[in-house]
Amino acid sequence: MLELKRALDAKGHCLLEMPSGTGKTTTLLSLIVAYMKAHPLDLTKLVYCSRTVPEIEKVMEELRKLMNYYEKEMGMEQNILGLALSSRKNLCIHPSVSKEREGKVVDGRCYSLTASFVRARHAADDAVPICEFYEGFDAHGKEFPLPPGVYNLDDLKEYGQMKRWCPYFLARHTITHANIVVYSYHYLLDPKIAEVVSKEISKTSVVVFDEAHNIDNVCIDSMSVKITKRLLDKCSNSITILETTISNMKENDSKRLEKEYKRLVEGLRDATIARETDMALVNPVLPSEILEEAVPGTIRTAEHFVAFLKRVVEYIKTRLRVQHVVQESPAGFLRDIHTKVCIDRKPLRFSAERLASLIRTLEISDLTDFSPLVTVSHFATLVSTYTKGFTIIIEPFEDRAPTVSNPILYFSCLDSSIAIKPVFNRFQTVVITSGTLSPLDMYPKILDFHPVIMTSFTMTLARPCILPMIVSKGNDQVAMSSRYETREDTAVIRNYGNLLVEVAAAVPDGIVCFFTSYLYLETIVSSWYDQGIIDQLQRHKLLFIETQDAAETSLALINYIKACDNGRGAVLLSVARGKVSEGIDFDHHLGRAVLMFGIPYVYTQSRILRARLEYLRDQFQIRENDFLTFDAMRHAAQCLGRCMRGKTDYGIMILADKRFSRADKRSKLPKWIQEHLKDTNCNLSTEECVQICKRWLRQMAQPFSREDQLGISLLTLEQLQSEEMQKKIQQRAQGV
Amino acid sequence: MADEDETKEYRWESGYEKTWEAIKEDDDGLLESNVADLVARAKRKRAALKDTGAIQLGMMRHLFVVVDASACMFLQDLKPTRFLCVLKLLEVFVHEFFDLNPISQLGILTTKMKRSEQITVLAGNQKKHIEALQQLKDLSCEGEPSLQNSLERAMNGLKNMPAYSSREILVLFGSLTTCDPGDIQKTIKSLKDNNIRVSIIGLAAEVRICQEIAKKTGGTYNVLIDDHHLKELILNQVQPPAVAGSMEASLVKMGFPGASPIVNDGTSDSSADHAPAYCLCHIESETSSLMGPNGYNCPQCGSRYCELPVECKQCGLTLVSAPHLARSYHHLFPIKPFIERAQVRETTHCFACAKLFVEAETNVYECENCNQIVCLDCDLFIRETLHTCPGCASDPVTAQMKTN
Repeated sequence: MLELKRALDAKGHCLLEMPSGTGKTTTLLSLIVAYMKAHPLDLTKLVYCSRTVPEIEKVMEELRKLMNYYEKEMGMEQNILGLALSSRKNLCIHPSVSKEREGKVVDGRCYSLTASFVRARHAADDAVPICEFYEGFDAHGKEFPLPPGVYNLDDLKEYGQMKRWCPYFLARHTITHANIVVYSYHYLLDPKIAEVVSKEISKTSVVVFDEAHNIDNVCIDSMSVKITKRLLDKCSNSITILETTISNMKENDSKRLEKEYKRLVEGLRDATIARETDMALVNPVLPSEILEEAVPGTIRTAEHFVAFLKRVVEYIKTRLRVQHVVQESPAGFLRDIHTKVCIDRKPLRFSAERLASLIRTLEISDLTDFSPLVTVSHFATLVSTYTKGFTIIIEPFEDRAPTVSNPILYFSCLDSSIAIKPVFNRFQTVVITSGTLSPLDMYPKILDFHPVIMTSFTMTLARPCILPMIVSKGNDQVAMSSRYETREDTAVIRNYGNLLVEVAAAVPDGIVCFFTSYLYLETIVSSWYDQGIIDQLQRHKLLFIETQDAAETSLALINYIKACDNGRGAVLLSVARGKVSEGIDFDHHLGRAVLMFGIPYVYTQSRILRARLEYLRDQFQIRENDFLTFDAMRHAAQCLGRCMRGKTDYGIMILADKRFSRADKRSKLPKWIQEHLKDTNCNLSTEECVQICKRWLRQMAQPFSREDQLGISLLTLEQLQSEEMQKKIQQRAQGV
Repeated sequence: MADEDETKEYRWESGYEKTWEAIKEDDDGLLESNVADLVARAKRKRAALKDTGAIQLGMMRHLFVVVDASACMFLQDLKPTRFLCVLKLLEVFVHEFFDLNPISQLGILTTKMKRSEQITVLAGNQKKHIEALQQLKDLSCEGEPSLQNSLERAMNGLKNMPAYSSREILVLFGSLTTCDPGDIQKTIKSLKDNNIRVSIIGLAAEVRICQEIAKKTGGTYNVLIDDHHLKELILNQVQPPAVAGSMEASLVKMGFPGASPIVNDGTSDSSADHAPAYCLCHIESETSSLMGPNGYNCPQCGSRYCELPVECKQCGLTLVSAPHLARSYHHLFPIKPFIERAQVRETTHCFACAKLFVEAETNVYECENCNQIVCLDCDLFIRETLHTCPGCASDPVTAQMKTN
């Protein structure tokens, strides 16, 4: 809290690592809200970004508790409005639209009911369907602000139902004057969405990125484009649709096209005006100088533009028809496209805006079909705008299946700082926090910012409730490692199997295992099957395996939880970087032990990664190996952190690879894990490890109540105010 | 058991132990000493809990002991094996149980190979149980246990017991997994409906479902640290528990057979009482022999038994002797808990055992009545075994008060 306060005072950015379950969210919320109350002019708004919908809900729950406490203590209604925002899919209350499963479909149908021209048509002809909730909101909702309070997604829906207002648009409208906004990263980081949603957030806001250990990847993903052959085929289809619509319209209503033409000549001037007041979030896709120019003449008329798009698509198609891997810079690509099909850089730059404008003009209400085309136009804009920090890779086939032709064009962002830069520049304080951010000094480098505070916190615990161990060898003293040279070795695989069997026999309830990749998981499981290890394992516990199929995995998870609940016990084999390792908590009995088989390095042969590594080396002076280790260790830590979800919880963490005990890997683990990782537990054999587990589990099973924590990890008000404790806190603060 | 260790296994056969770690000085103040501290405090807490005064105790207990006989009971982390260690302690338990709860009944079940087997039926005869336990030693442990099956079976045995008795199940569970045919939640629910208390002692680690069963049925769940701790945990179950919900209080008919082989004074039909007869407890066994005049006759039907307490096989009357009842009497009037105090300079030694207080011992215990100071060990000993305060008993004034 002290650190956070400093950052707020300094109006700078900060980077905090706090173990999960220690009240991270509560601390952040309560301090920032208090700060907002104390200095209402310096700090007007809190934007809290989390990753998934359940996490958003959790934050709202904490906020509600905080508000209730304020109300109880201060004895009056608080004038603070907290709000969660999610996609239309999660907020829609339209009776038929809300039944759709896919987010894109919901968006498309919503658009077809609420777009301005549809409503205009409705005014003329009652048969055209519109959304009554949106109408309700439009008619009344804009004048009446939402009363102060805390609204999570369900509350919004309820409120919407009651008033017959559309909750999605209500929430979006309310963002501008709400004090606390909770939503997903993408609303801020993805330039395409950020422009729509987060444009009007004032400069004096605090932005918090929770669970932000992967933030650089999110940034990169939001700026990268992947084009496959199927996508291009769809593009061609939609271009044909565009053509027919245009010719139809020309016959019926040529006036409108003319109007559009005129507007384009005038340029995107309104946008420039908005930007001058520095209110809008700078759109990194479209640098401001472009906005001042008028749309180039070559694509100003609708037909020309469609023909232009067609050429681009055809050109990319020919590029995909390669037999070997091609890697080139955006500049090279532009030169090539100029010589081959005579397309300049300038019109390419405008293609995204132009397409959006065209779709608006043509009154196409069903947007879902056009998403491939939109992707291509984004690609065109990006490729012509940025010459640095990006690369284009064309692969004729996948590495896994080199015989099947499946050409893919990757337009990959190499620099994660591009997407996040506007956020850092715009807001006075950005807080990046997670349970696992170690090593901390890497993040400022790759995100290119200067934090005023950078701290890793540890837990104060009444008992040693995590047991990290590094198991480096099997009972036969053969070293265990997932190194490329040894991963096929049967001795290593057998040792891994024995480790799992013995741990399964000693640890109750749930065990989660992480492998380095799906491929490795499959080979190991099949050779375990041959070696009879699977049979041995099933004597102790049931076995579940994560697959790449999301539905299958969630079914496995449900049954895993069931098996843990009724005492049968279960083992879940999953993959680091997979779905299980990211969003799912295995608290208490669901994860008594986590095993990490091998170090989860990324697939180093991937060309995208190689290009990125090269870029990092050239631009930020980060050695390849440093980055790879950093990335591997943060994922390992993330996996390990799955089993610890609070102070009353306890869990074993086993790192089964010889290489973990090296100083460069060990020192990159989060501080709260390192603290418990003793030297004696760093080079164990399977048997030693199991013995330590058994004894530790017995100790942990002893009754542990609230009173035992009092005075150590839980303080009463008197204890907190006592002089001794104050001294201790001071010491700690200085130690950090 | 030390000599047994040496004969049964060699050092290299035993588990991997880091003995030097057990006596290690604690640098960070986290590990062993802290846990030992927790255990000591838990002891006190249990003792204090029991003595909260005016609670109704279930004196007539019907208890099923379920012993895990699955493959994991062959592990040697308790010496010589988990199974033998548990059986040995159970013998002590059975003995103590009938000593302290003379009017109770006990039965034994085992569970292995996903099934549950009944070893002895509910009965009040401790000899039979101890014999059965001794025979169990040769049983091979294999397969997985089934909590649900054994609980169901025990429940069937307990369901029809009278409402005034306390129904309990004690599970000694070594495995970390249970292999059940159906939904164990239903079993838990019906256990709860039948007012059956399930206590579980885990031999390896905390298993969630055990925790849940114990919590929902009002029992306790503990996990041992070593064999001494296990003994303590098992013997804790000897004390009658406080009655959970609404157990009706009622009068129970009992017989008090006269035991004295007194010479015939002609006042009653004592000729029949003392005539040689077959003892009904042994009448079915081959070793039965005609008993002499020593024995107990049921006052209702006149059948003869060689020992008490027993339930009469003929008429179903519970036969006890007065000292038996007197022995369970102290449960109803437990001594008040001693007050925990910081160690003071004036008192240098424990009143009960005369041990000098050392620096490490921070807390001493004081009796409310006689203000004598004892150490932690004596405090527990007085509470669990003596049931009377030595200070009060040796002081004539307070001793008088107490009897009054």
